[in-house]
Amino acid sequence: MKHFAVLISLLRDRQYFFDEVRRDYKTEKKIGSLLVASAFFLACYGAIIGASSSWLQMLSSAIKLPALYLITLTICLPTLYFFDILFGSALTFGQYALLVLISVSVISVLLFSFAPITLFFLISVHDYNFFLLLNVAIFAFTGLMGVKFFYQAMQTIDRSETAQLEPPVAAPLKLAEDSPQPPDDFLPIDDLSRSEKSLAQLAQVNRSTGLQSSNQRTRRRLLQFWLVLYALVGSQLGWTLRPFFGAPNETFQLFRNIEGNFYSQVFRSLFTLLGWN
Amino acid sequence: MQLDLVDLRITPDQLEKLTGLDISETFMGRVYRPSVFRSVRRFLPFLITEGLTFALILIFCLPLGLVIGRGLGWLSNAGTTLIFFLFLLGFSVLLFAIWNLYMWQQGKRLKTLAHLLDEVDKHNDIIEAVDVMDQLSAVQSASIQLIDRSEVLQALAATRESLVNALMTEKIFRKYRQFMNRRQELFTNIESNLATLQTLQIDAQANEYGQLLNQALQIGLSLRQEIRQWQQLEEREK
Repeated sequence: MKHFAVLISLLRDRQYFFDEVRRDYKTEKKIGSLLVASAFFLACYGAIIGASSSWLQMLSSAIKLPALYLITLTICLPTLYFFDILFGSALTFGQYALLVLISVSVISVLLFSFAPITLFFLISVHDYNFFLLLNVAIFAFTGLMGVKFFYQAMQTIDRSETAQLEPPVAAPLKLAEDSPQPPDDFLPIDDLSRSEKSLAQLAQVNRSTGLQSSNQRTRRRLLQFWLVLYALVGSQLGWTLRPFFGAPNETFQLFRNIEGNFYSQVFRSLFTLLGWN
Repeated sequence: MQLDLVDLRITPDQLEKLTGLDISETFMGRVYRPSVFRSVRRFLPFLITEGLTFALILIFCLPLGLVIGRGLGWLSNAGTTLIFFLFLLGFSVLLFAIWNLYMWQQGKRLKTLAHLLDEVDKHNDIIEAVDVMDQLSAVQSASIQLIDRSEVLQALAATRESLVNALMTEKIFRKYRQFMNRRQELFTNIESNLATLQTLQIDAQANEYGQLLNQALQIGLSLRQEIRQWQQLEEREK
């Protein structure tokens, strides 16, 4: 039962953890552990937000909240993986799954750390809209932190990967610099062929490095695009899976009718809270 | 624990290197160890893991299934919703059963390793026992004397070497069934260590270490039996 220890090791020493991910060290075990730990924390937080309504809602939210994060991950993961390998990434599908799970795990831990605060407001303030907006803020904050963590992990691994792939450039360049300067404009044939070789090597290195950095830039842009996609899929799935809170004076509903969207509801709640409705 | 005893232990890290798998009290690689059913201490983590696995299956199956069901219009009234909900629960149980069946199938292939790991546990338990006796003798200086400590350590060293050889052989056998260059050498080592153990056991005086030596010998005998089974299996395959 070392699932939580894996998560703690991620939080304590992230650089070492990222390095292990890059080396594909015990990836499968880490995936299992992070899956279990994040599902547990998310279920706990889901139960707390569902408790604002009824015990049935509590049970329902305890399943729905981890489902929201984990299914979003499952939906978006293939896009990230296939686009990245198209642009030169050498990571495996398992490594990508682990990287995305890192983000979900961080979100789950942060949500769990907010649980006492949410519970406090649940007990002390009986205002549905306030509770709703408070949680939207918490979800937004934890989501941003998780995404930041994930972005950092991807950047670190990408840099290490590129550093490993780069061919050694010092030796051939040094050879060219150290070559004795010929007395006239005509190079001896031997030196000429050596210089040509060095130049060819240099050109090859430049081409290779240029291609790698171009691929790296593309992958970075793809990652940014993917994060937007992830947020969109997540918010839409969240809207599809609602209710998570359970509106006051309403009986338990497994699902609500799909009407409007997540963003319009946030603004509606905000206006109601500010008395503009 | 004294340094000589520490060196004789087979640690989880060493086990990981020797077997090429993640070894814990509950798992060997990704499958359950049969020993989880033999003690309550190990059965509890097994139960928790099973519970967590089922919970994860539910987390994926129930919401996704219900969303799909709603999209297809199968959740129009309470009756059909309940039936669909029960169907999804049944489907989750089926997936859980398939998962366990897969684990059981995988576990069958690692039967020998499971047995060796149990022997490693016994070996480590003996070392713990010797350590306890060392500590007791340090406290009650005269009443418990370490008469044959060196012999016990010699026996444990032989057992350790046998276990390491057996684990290496098992790994080689598991990974490279067609390519086993060191096989004969490892088998010979195990046989010679067993002979050492038998000699020590005969020489042992009737004292508190007699039983420990006997246990070490039992491990050695068990290993030899296992090796012979492999040899027979290989001869049959030839």
